[in-house]
Amino acid sequence: MKRFLPLLAALAPVPAFAHAFLKSAEPRVGAVVATPPAQLLLTYTEELAVPFCTVTVAGPNGAQVQAAKPQPVPGHENELAVKVRITAPGKYVVTWHALSQDTHKTQGRYSFTLSP
Amino acid sequence: MLVLRGLCRGLHLAGYFSASGTIILAATLLRRARLSGLKPLAWGGFALALVAGAGWFLLQTAYFAAARNWADILNAIPIVVQDTRFGALLLGRMAALLLAVLLFQAGWTRLAALLALGGVLAEAWLGHGGAMSGAEGEVLLASAVLHLAGAALWLGTLPVLLLALRRLPGAEAAWLARCFSPLGMACVIVLVGTAAVQFVLLIGGVGALFASAYGALAGAKILALGLLTGLAARNKFSLTPSLPGSGVALRRAVALEIVLGLAVLLAAGLLLQLEPPAMTGMAGM
Ligand SMILES: [Cu+2]
Repeated sequence: MKRFLPLLAALAPVPAFAHAFLKSAEPRVGAVVATPPAQLLLTYTEELAVPFCTVTVAGPNGAQVQAAKPQPVPGHENELAVKVRITAPGKYVVTWHALSQDTHKTQGRYSFTLSP
Repeated sequence: MLVLRGLCRGLHLAGYFSASGTIILAATLLRRARLSGLKPLAWGGFALALVAGAGWFLLQTAYFAAARNWADILNAIPIVVQDTRFGALLLGRMAALLLAVLLFQAGWTRLAALLALGGVLAEAWLGHGGAMSGAEGEVLLASAVLHLAGAALWLGTLPVLLLALRRLPGAEAAWLARCFSPLGMACVIVLVGTAAVQFVLLIGGVGALFASAYGALAGAKILALGLLTGLAARNKFSLTPSLPGSGVALRRAVALEIVLGLAVLLAAGLLLQLEPPAMTGMAGM
């Protein structure tokens, strides 16, 4: 058995993107943008149960600037759209909680900066 | 809560598999056998699937909605039914099983068997493969479909096999056991092969087996599967050829397989609530 362990280990690890993790975002993670976005678009690695997903966006002074709950994007079951009211320049922190259609929850946080 | 949810899911699968397995065996190997007790066995499996499924539904709804009380759960139920694959699949699969058992009761055995098998396989879409797009998702989904088929055809038919070995006359029981053992072997091969696919894609290395709860449970499952394989091999190569003299030993071995099979399903139910190690450390992004 001992002899086969390295063999098995060699077959391993192909990291799979199981669970819904953030694949990309618009504005991009860490981006510096010149014009304030009207909405954020979050794209995940799995399809989402949107009513149980939440996204909050905190502005430079800490106040929340999301205008509504995340909305589904028709035809893209792995995306969330979040309307925001952004005017002041500075750093915006996006905190998300996602429920994948595989029944698992995930969460994460990223930021982008408005610098006109 | 997590443990309870996992146990409910495992019990639900056990009930679903045994109801389906009973109907499927009745439509195939037991087609000509005059055997009483098949319909109560199918209804028993249905009842277990229903009760455990209801518990699973409530616990999962509470988890989805982060519910703090019953009102939160009640408010979330329509959303779970309408907007989650979990809700739609669970209700759809229970309706399929109810219809299958009713058809079985009415004598439409083959149609009932197809319907029950469809309900078993549909569960695969609740897994990671079902929610993922791309080649990797398709491989995982296909392997989950095969894994479910193997598990249901083998573990699900064990209770009805035990019933038949007890009640059928010696020669008929021996014929059944001889026909059953290649089926069991084929299922074992499918189960091990598809488990290997999931192992590579979801667990990663052997080290992860010892480093996480997910790995430990998966390891326990592999161990139990190994024991089951050993029992099945003994049935095939030693006990079945010497029937009917070995009848008692064979029945005892099948009973032990049922207990081990239930343990495997409970472990699977728990496993499905946990995070695969290939994912840990990704949470931030
Ligand atoms: Cu997951």
